[in-house]
Order: sequence, then structure tokens, then C-alpha cells
Amino acid sequence: MGFFSKGITLPKRQLVTSLTLIDTPVPDTVVLPLRQYIGQPSQAAVSVGDTVTTGQIISECTDAACLPVHATISGTVTDISAHRDPRGSMTESVTIESDGTDTWIEPPEARDTALDTTDILDRIRSSGLIAKGLLPVPLDTDLAPIDQPKTHLYLNGTDIKKRIDTLIINCLDAEPSLGVNRYLAGMEHSSLPCGIDALKRITGAQRVIFAVDKHVAPSSQLKDMVKNDEEEATSIVTVNGRRYPAALPIVLVNTVLAREIPLPYGHPRDVGAAVYDIETVISIAEAVTGGTAQVDTMITIGGDAMAKQGIARVRIGVSIGSLIDSLGGLRADAAKIILGGPMTGMAHYDLATPITKEVTGLFAMTREQIQLSTGYRECINCGMCVKVCPVNLLPGIISLYCAKDKFDLAEAAGLFSCIECGACDYVCPSRRPLVHLFRHAKNQLME
Amino acid sequence: METTTYSVSMSPHIRGRQSIETMMATFIIGLVPTSLTAIYFFGIKALIIMVLSMATAGIVEAVIEKATRRALTFKDYHALLTGLLLALMLPPSVPWWIPVVGATVAIVLGKALFGGLGNYAFNPAIVAWVVLRLSWPERMNLFFEPHTTNQALTPLMALKVDPGLFYSYDLMTLFLGQKPGLIGTVSSLAVLIGGLFILYRGVIRWHIPISFFAGIALFALVLRYINPDVYPPVSFHLVGGGVFLAAFFLAPEPVTSPVTVKGMITFGLLAGILTMIIRMWGAFPDGSFYAILIMNSATPLFNYLKPQAYGRSYRA
Repeated sequence: MGFFSKGITLPKRQLVTSLTLIDTPVPDTVVLPLRQYIGQPSQAAVSVGDTVTTGQIISECTDAACLPVHATISGTVTDISAHRDPRGSMTESVTIESDGTDTWIEPPEARDTALDTTDILDRIRSSGLIAKGLLPVPLDTDLAPIDQPKTHLYLNGTDIKKRIDTLIINCLDAEPSLGVNRYLAGMEHSSLPCGIDALKRITGAQRVIFAVDKHVAPSSQLKDMVKNDEEEATSIVTVNGRRYPAALPIVLVNTVLAREIPLPYGHPRDVGAAVYDIETVISIAEAVTGGTAQVDTMITIGGDAMAKQGIARVRIGVSIGSLIDSLGGLRADAAKIILGGPMTGMAHYDLATPITKEVTGLFAMTREQIQLSTGYRECINCGMCVKVCPVNLLPGIISLYCAKDKFDLAEAAGLFSCIECGACDYVCPSRRPLVHLFRHAKNQLME
Repeated sequence: METTTYSVSMSPHIRGRQSIETMMATFIIGLVPTSLTAIYFFGIKALIIMVLSMATAGIVEAVIEKATRRALTFKDYHALLTGLLLALMLPPSVPWWIPVVGATVAIVLGKALFGGLGNYAFNPAIVAWVVLRLSWPERMNLFFEPHTTNQALTPLMALKVDPGLFYSYDLMTLFLGQKPGLIGTVSSLAVLIGGLFILYRGVIRWHIPISFFAGIALFALVLRYINPDVYPPVSFHLVGGGVFLAAFFLAPEPVTSPVTVKGMITFGLLAGILTMIIRMWGAFPDGSFYAILIMNSATPLFNYLKPQAYGRSYRA
């Protein structure tokens, strides 16, 4: 399997040591960026000195590419100014000091679940859910896109707009080092059928496929759902979760359905599939039945410099520093703090940066784990990158174009098909910063 | 915690273990069985050739890098590997200065003039071997019986004299190494063991060795079919000369071989066929080194045999 397949297998030392839930306290202060997704920022609807309760909406939206922000603790608004967000840019943010009580806003009455799709989308939207992944956009726009299918996707004259027929519930994590979805897939969730039902109604999918990791036994609930489905429209597909990037939608749809998502800018819906994480499905169910705001998010805590490793449910807006303190601090040899996974996440130097909805993990890496860069050598044309590239590019050759500022040649060689998974970078014996060069070239070309 | 600084860089933040140093070290470890058989068959003489060649290569590279004020990379084992490969391609009869001159040529002409590791177009060890072969043909063409200093012809040289002679050779003996030849090519078994090791460690891929063998085998099969009395069997061609060393250590050399699967397979097949053409109708008894040198020049072309980029061909 591994001999012929694309991608890489991460060694055990880079994986999270345990998939157990870690308790984290309600933070004293939260910083809530008014944009926690790709899109337009929302506008603050509170002012300094206002008192807010947990779950209260504190910003208003101007258009559909924007989501409301909810207060995630109860207390007083102390500041509205630009703060560094997990993407590294400065975003207008609301700071709330806790009053220590964590008083929740009056929850709406228990609601029925037999809704039409507009109502479901409204509830998802008002709960502030986003689609986690490489392209975090507001979840309702991902489920029911506003913009029409892009014309450049009509390749070779084929109309690729299709009805969605299959819903893939991704019980794998985007990176093998992350663990939230695998943790959730091993547990029972009373809300899971409701979430799947809502997703089926929105997307129109007839078939449901659970993509599970072969190293983690799926819960008996998943097995029962497959067994009890009389129409045999539900199934489980096992994938090797240690392989990377096996769980990215582009690769997963090909593995599970043998359908090829058009690149660049393709989406699973272009080939009639909808891929959503099991975490998202559960959030949808909570939004539809409870109607409560998303005030916390599940992230993976990992890295050898972290005192505890596992899964944590944390309040949105808690800063990296206070979260690390509540987890028992860092080892002295911590060399890098990463939001997201080690393969695609972003390194941060500012521990005041808040955890937002987009964040999938918090990793504190030791010097041994990351091998601090000591410069790189010339490409020796070994072809390791070609072997692992999941989208069949020649990363080494494209990187030579990028390094020599021949961006047009890089584009012709398929630069924009690159999904920046980092597999080529990982295996390069010359330690060349391939992904860095690709991003640089993409930025130059898009200007 | 406020005073701590954390490093920031682009993703990915973790790296695999493979580096140029480990790659080259793996190649050298893969050549250990071959080196041991060389010493076993040709004694201390073989050891002297190997040590001289490796030491010269390392020193020459260090001197060049010092003199041109480039980054000192002679510690990455590539110069040692080049020196060792060159030594293994020499006959046991050579005087002490042949490996010294050869290793200097390999590093200066084969590697440094092109800009160092990653930039040369031709395998430096083969470049040096060709220079030696053309400059001192009689010294490079003097072979000994194993364990002795009795002059003898290699099986492929004998074939040039009388094509029917292949009947007199026992294939198993040829495979194990009891024959006159270059110090590193006499034992195909030793090269195979090292080759499987580097294949297992992932520093080369199976496509080039297998297609190289396939190219030779197909060509030999066709000839054999035409006239089995004159043309030796496939197995003789595989174990009679330097094919194993060429297939596992010279042809898949990272810098000078293609990177795509289709490119590697075409490269190997054509190199195998070219080897046979040189053996059958060329001036030299063993064509595998020349074949690889010639195919090296076409490597950038083979890289155009790209796989279809994912998502570019839409299928329903």
C-alpha cells in the first residue's frame, strides 16, 4: 500500500500521544476577532463598558460572506481594537473581561427538528459555524454557495455542475497529528443522526459514507447506523489515517468515490460529493436542535514541549498563553508554537494571539521535533517530491522556477494545482522550503 | 515566559529524516558488500585503490571549496561516494596514480566545474572512468584472475574475441564473482545485496534498475531467438559484466536520472538497449557505463514525460 501510494507516513513521534479529553477552565479574558474565517469582517455591535452574557451576539453582519460573533464568556467589554489573529494578520477584535460567573444568555426553547432547508441554514448561520479546513468559510455559504459555479471549472467542454449524491462524513483528521475527528468517531453522539439528516436535506445527498481511520475503531453507533439502514445507503470506508494527506477532501473523495476534483479552485460539490467533518456534523445538530451559539471549539493539544497532550474543548478567544498555562505550561526547550497541525499550521511568536473557530490544534514543538532550519542545499533532482505529491506535480522543478522568479513557467507547470500540503517539503533531502517558494510565487502572480 | 522567543517559519514545521548526508551515507553502506568482495578477490591492492580514490576525491573537493570560498559541503559524503564508485569501476591492475588522477577528474571536471552537487549533467564517476579509459586504454584493460596476478580476459572481452565462448562460463560462478573483471563488478551478488538495501531505504526507486534489466533482457532475448549459437543467453548478459553496479548505483544516481515514473522507465529501458548495442556491435566489451553516460544527457528530456496533474482531466 505505502509502496505505491502517494503522500507520506508520519513517524509515531510526530503524532499526539493520547486521544483523551483534557479539562480547561473558563478563561478570564477573551479576545474575539470579528473575522474568524475567510470573508468579510463583521462590525462590532457593542461598545467599551457594555456588559455581555455568554452566547450573546456582539457583532452584526454586512453581507453573506460574514458571520456574527458571539460573546464566549460573560463580563464587560474592555477594548475594541486590532489584534493579531491566527492567520497572522491584524483584525478588529472585541476583548471581554470575565465577571467570573459565566452566565449564559437565555437559551431559545427546545425546537423541533423537522425544518425546511432555509431554516436549517439560518440556524447554522446564527450559531456562527464555519467550515474548518484549508479554506475556512462560513458554513452556510459552503453548504449552499451563493456564487455560481466558476467558469474555469468547465474543463474540456464538460459541464461539471452536478447534483450532490454522496455525503462523506470525514472521521479522519486533516493531518495525522490532529485527533479531534478520530476522538469523536470513537464516541456515541445522540445528536449525530439529526446532523446527518440536516446535511442530507440541505445537500440532497442520498448516500452517506463514513470515512474512518483504520487505526481507530469506529463507535458502535456508526456500525449500528450502517447495519440498521434498510436501504443500504450508509456505509463505512476505512482509510489509513497515518498517511498524509489522506484526509484532505481532494484526496479523500478520490479514495472513497474515485472521483477527481478539478484543480485549481475545485470543491467536492463539483463532482457531486459533500465532505464534512464529524465535528461539523455534531455542531450542525446542536445548532439545529438547541439553537445555541458556538462558544467553544475542540482542538488537538500536541507537541513534545506541551505538558499534556490530547483533545481540549476551549472557549473561543482564549489566548495561546493562558491556554498553555492552564494546561501546565511548557517545557524549557519549546522552540515553536503552532496553531493548526504541524504540516499546514502557522507558527506564532505572540502568545496573546487568541484561539478562534478556524484553529484545529495547538502544538508546542521542541527543537528536536522541528529541526530548526540551518539553510538549504541545491535541488539534487532526486525525485522524492514527485513520489509523494498527491496532485502529481513535479514540486522540485516548479520550485526551481519559483526560486529564479520565472513565475509564468511555474504557473504553466501547474503551480496553482498545488494544495500546499507540505509533503514535498517534508521529504526533501536538500531541505528546500518548497511550500514557501510556491506561496511566494502564487502571491506574486496574483498581484 | 515573556522573554522566551519562538521561531517562526512557513509550514510544514516538521521534516523527514532523509537528508543529503543520510542519502549519500546509505549509498556508501550499500557499496560495503561490493567493497568487501573486491578485497576478497583482489586483496590489499583493491583496498589501496578504494582508499586512494576516496581520499583524493574528498581532499580535492575540500580544496576547491576552500579556494573558491564556497560553502564547505565535502562533509556530505558525496565526494567519498564518487571516489568509491570510481574505484569500483577500475581493474585491479592499475598503478597507484590512476585512482588519484581519476578521482581528481571526477571532482573537478565531473562535479565542481558544473557548480557542485545537483548541477552536473553527467555522472562524475563515469566521466572520470571514461577519461581514464580513453587516456590510458592499455592500463585500464589489464585484468587479473581473482586471488592472483595472472593476466586474463573478462568474459565480455573473451566474447569479443570469439562469440561462441559463452558456453565455457558457469553462470553461477559469474554471479558469485569468481572471474576476471573490474574490482566492483565481479560479484553481482554483492552488488545485488547492496542494491536491495538502498532500494529498501528508499534512496533509489525500483523503476530504473528494473527497466534497465528489462531493456537488456528484451534485447538479448530477441538476439537469442535469432541465433542461439552466436548470441549468449539473457542471464550471461546480466551477470557477465558491470550491469548490476550500473543498474543499482550508477543509473539511478539522483542528480543525473529522471524524476518521473514514465521518465525513469524510459531511461532505464533505453540505457539497457544501448548497453546491448555497444556490447554487440561497439568497440568496447561492456557498454553499460557508456550507455548511462549517453542517457544522462537526455535526462531533462525524460522529465517531460510527466504524470497527468491531478484535477486537470475531468472524468465523470
